[in-house]
Amino acid sequence: MTTTEMEARPKQKVERREESTRPGRYFAPAVDILETNDEIVLLADMPGVPADAVDVHLDGDQLTIEGRVRPEDYAGLKPLHVEYVVGGYHRTFALGEAIDRDGIRAAMQQGVLTLHLPKAEHARVRRIEVSVG
Amino acid sequence: MATYRDPFERLQGELERMLEQAFAAFGPGGVSPSVDVFDAGDAFVVKAELPGLDPRSVEVSVEDGALTLRGERKLPEPQAGAAFHRREREEGAFRRVVRMPARVAADQTQAEYRDGVLTVRLPKAPESRPRRVEIQAA
Repeated sequence: MTTTEMEARPKQKVERREESTRPGRYFAPAVDILETNDEIVLLADMPGVPADAVDVHLDGDQLTIEGRVRPEDYAGLKPLHVEYVVGGYHRTFALGEAIDRDGIRAAMQQGVLTLHLPKAEHARVRRIEVSVG
Repeated sequence: MATYRDPFERLQGELERMLEQAFAAFGPGGVSPSVDVFDAGDAFVVKAELPGLDPRSVEVSVEDGALTLRGERKLPEPQAGAAFHRREREEGAFRRVVRMPARVAADQTQAEYRDGVLTVRLPKAPESRPRRVEIQAA
């Protein structure tokens, strides 16, 4: 088996446009976005974010995901060597497709957010059978 | 005027400063996955961001004062007919060796994987623990 090194990608810091009362740094999570005929699936790496600290907002065609980390996990720890900065995650996407809002499903598992965004009925690609007359 | 600073924000600021210094010395890249090492007084704490891993695929070992993290991240195959709009998440095998700054009690090492973060706690060897020395009055 060949060992390919997993490429380290330094976290990208993001400046939040809106005023925030929550202190701390925010980073853009790495995402995969897949599209099938019926839905758009978004997977976001947000290590350190528990399931109850994720917010997903859909405003018009603008999708925002946000995750917060637990500062108490770092209480009493003095940094000696640092390769990543601990912080929350924030990223906004413009969706090209009409989404069925009631059908959105989100799951958080081991720091990975999985978001299923079903396409609205009228946005699905439909195969129309041509009947031979 | 005294400004209130959240202790967590202060920690983040300190992390950021150290990160800048570290990358100034070695240049970006070449490390995988990213790890942070902390001093918790009686132990060293190593944290690594490893989202979406099967904990059974991670191997943690301590030898000669060095901690080795080994594992593999496999992303599930997308269903047939799916098209990628973005593909930023990485997969593959990794191996990291982190040298401890002082002697550790290797047999008491504990590892926990939660919310995509691996946390390894390595208690310091008795001789490496901070000790308060009483001053004897002559």
